[in-house]
Amino acid sequence: MLVEGASMVQYWYASKKIGQEVRQRAETELRAKSLEIQNQLQPVEVATQNIEGLVARNIHRPDTLKVIIEKWLDRNPSILGLCICFEANYFPERGRWYEPYTLRRSNGKYAHMQLGSASHDYLSSDWYLQGLKAMDGRWSEPYMDAEGARAMVCTYTFPLHDRSGNLIGILGSDVSLEWLSRVVNATHIYPSSFNLLVSREGTMMVSPVDSFVMRANLRDATSKIKDAAIHNLNERILSGESGHAVIRNEQGEREYVFFAPVKGNTGWSMAVVCSHKEIYSGLRSLLFRMLMLLLAGLALLSFIIYRAIKSFKHIEEVNAVQNALANELNIASDIQMSMLPKTYPPFPDRDDIDIYGFLTPAKAVGGDLFDFFIRNEKLFFCIGDVSGKGVPASLVMAVVRSLFRSVASHEASPERIIAHINDLSVDNESNMFVTMFVGVLDLPKGLLRYCNAGHDAPLLISKDVRSLPVEPNLPLGVVLGWQFKGGEIQLDYGTTIFLYTDGLAEAEDIAHNQFRRERIIKEAENLRDAEGMARPEPLITRMSDAVQSFVGEAEQSDDLTMLALQYTKEHHAAILTRSLTLTNDLKQIEMLAPFVEEVCKSLGFDGAATMKMNLAIEEAVANIINYAYPKGQEGTLHIDAEANDERLKFTISDNGSPFDPTAREDVDISLPADKRPIGGLGIFLVRQLMDSINYERVDGQNVLTLRKKLEPTQ
Amino acid sequence: MTTTIKEIEGNLVAIFEGRLDTAAAPQCEKDLQPLNDCQGHDVILDCTSLSYISSSGLRLFLSVLKKAKPLGSHVYIKGMNADLRNVFTMTGFINLFEFKD
Repeated sequence: MLVEGASMVQYWYASKKIGQEVRQRAETELRAKSLEIQNQLQPVEVATQNIEGLVARNIHRPDTLKVIIEKWLDRNPSILGLCICFEANYFPERGRWYEPYTLRRSNGKYAHMQLGSASHDYLSSDWYLQGLKAMDGRWSEPYMDAEGARAMVCTYTFPLHDRSGNLIGILGSDVSLEWLSRVVNATHIYPSSFNLLVSREGTMMVSPVDSFVMRANLRDATSKIKDAAIHNLNERILSGESGHAVIRNEQGEREYVFFAPVKGNTGWSMAVVCSHKEIYSGLRSLLFRMLMLLLAGLALLSFIIYRAIKSFKHIEEVNAVQNALANELNIASDIQMSMLPKTYPPFPDRDDIDIYGFLTPAKAVGGDLFDFFIRNEKLFFCIGDVSGKGVPASLVMAVVRSLFRSVASHEASPERIIAHINDLSVDNESNMFVTMFVGVLDLPKGLLRYCNAGHDAPLLISKDVRSLPVEPNLPLGVVLGWQFKGGEIQLDYGTTIFLYTDGLAEAEDIAHNQFRRERIIKEAENLRDAEGMARPEPLITRMSDAVQSFVGEAEQSDDLTMLALQYTKEHHAAILTRSLTLTNDLKQIEMLAPFVEEVCKSLGFDGAATMKMNLAIEEAVANIINYAYPKGQEGTLHIDAEANDERLKFTISDNGSPFDPTAREDVDISLPADKRPIGGLGIFLVRQLMDSINYERVDGQNVLTLRKKLEPTQ
Repeated sequence: MTTTIKEIEGNLVAIFEGRLDTAAAPQCEKDLQPLNDCQGHDVILDCTSLSYISSSGLRLFLSVLKKAKPLGSHVYIKGMNADLRNVFTMTGFINLFEFKD
């Protein structure tokens, strides 16, 4: 009796546990499948979102746009084609419907066509109207590909905005769903259980009954089921709920139905259907084998305990992983911030440039960057914005910043810096692109050369506030080998260049109004009018206060970066210019002293100062003659002396092999005689005697520039 | 420039006149060769009439010192003007030599 009683309890307990076990398995199944579907679809979503900005920038340049879309399709083989559907009469000359479509042909080539017409009236179609509203993108109802393989296709739509933030249409990426039934049916939790997938509208996308697929609606497919509960179940599934229900099928057999929506914005739902009989079949026969049942129950119990412990462990692990992730994100944030210049003023001993920069990411890490450094009397600077936000964007940001540093360390042309970074970043797997502006400011001359890769034009603030005229070109990472066109402009004393990323112009208040470029210009004008010029730090402080009070309580939606550089070199008229040409023969050094002495005499130098200048120039010239020319090679050196009322400058140019005397380390002058090396003194003396020494390789020549500030007594 | 070597009171004296620059250094180096064998004699580098010296000249001075020291000879510098002394200070040579007035 006792055993019998115990076994009844055991039976009840076990059946309950089995019910729980089935549920757990079904839910796991639903989650796993949902994740797999998401993994298939998400790259399409990301790629479409990423190309939106590019399309918006190039709407009025159809030929460029074609190239961009073809390259983009090259890199997104899962996308069959891309359509751009414009709002009615967006281009008045093209009529009411304009829907350019780029399709990948089976031979790998692309076809460009225009689909919109009165008979293909996308403007009143549901997917278009819904697509306009779905700001985060939306998957259309599935449909059968009209041509070719009769495959199931779905379109991901994403709203298209122009550069001022106005909604002007949608983008649609067509994707084949031939993989869908394979993914959904890859596993089944019981031998006779089956999986269903239905669209937002209820179209059967995956079903064990082939004739239902894409032809029947869930409601039709279940119309033969007598159980009244089926209607309620269908509605719950179609409204995106998750849960489970027990119904009797056409044959009157009980079935467990577990259902859940597919994560993301497809609107799809999935269901797992298992037969009650199958689940509990083993249990019935065990009722007659009580001892066996007891043992099985014990085994089951221990299994359940084992699972429970495991799941506790799992939760702990998940928590630990989450903490670790949060911690790592903080570290990443610190690392990223440390890549940015942060000491201001950055060049306290220079009087020709003042810089201030500011960056706030929207998340812990972000995709904005700026950088600057001085090399050979040229200020190299850049600002950039990686498409997207968060960790993926931050990784690209770090790469681009390193590329800028390494390319600009040997390249002085902004066009070539941009082109070089572009060619190195075209093959990024994630299809990210980067808008970037690179400037190279010749500090002594005030000549700014620049190149823009799809970034907003910087502002020039001097007598007035205006945009720097830039060729927009393309963002980096889009088209390999693109010929970037740059520009140049002469900066006057006091001119400020103001650079910023989208996060400033497109900062939104709670009502989604954007800050806009007009406000940026207005703020800059007000500051200029109040103070006569826009010094970098006050400019950025003012701008960031203005944007903060505009945005108010709204959450920061994008990384925000500003960089301001003011050219503060006062112009001094040259009061002396002299030059001398020598051959690379040490004997010719005799000609240096009379030349230098004449320059010094004209500037009123005393004997001691003259001798120092003599020594510095002789050491520099001797170094070049000794090291820049291979034995036996003849060459010439030009020495130009130029002075204004502030500085004396010597420029020594030679046509020898590349030779940078400043790369040599200083000698250690504290060593005793027996340890002192014989060489290395020359350049050491030049450094001691002059205020600055810079080397540059220009047009196949070594150019060494030596400067000395003039003392009032001289 | 000219470099003259004389033996005065048992010392080897090198008398420099003019500018010891890079162009003049090769000849000066040849002229200083007798100092290489200064066994038993101290060396005096007389700079009273030397108006200028660059690193090529300093190198010659250092080379004289490096050869003389192991032979037990002292190397003195005599009569150097303030500008030259300044160069010696800048380069740390002031600590390598002994000075005589």
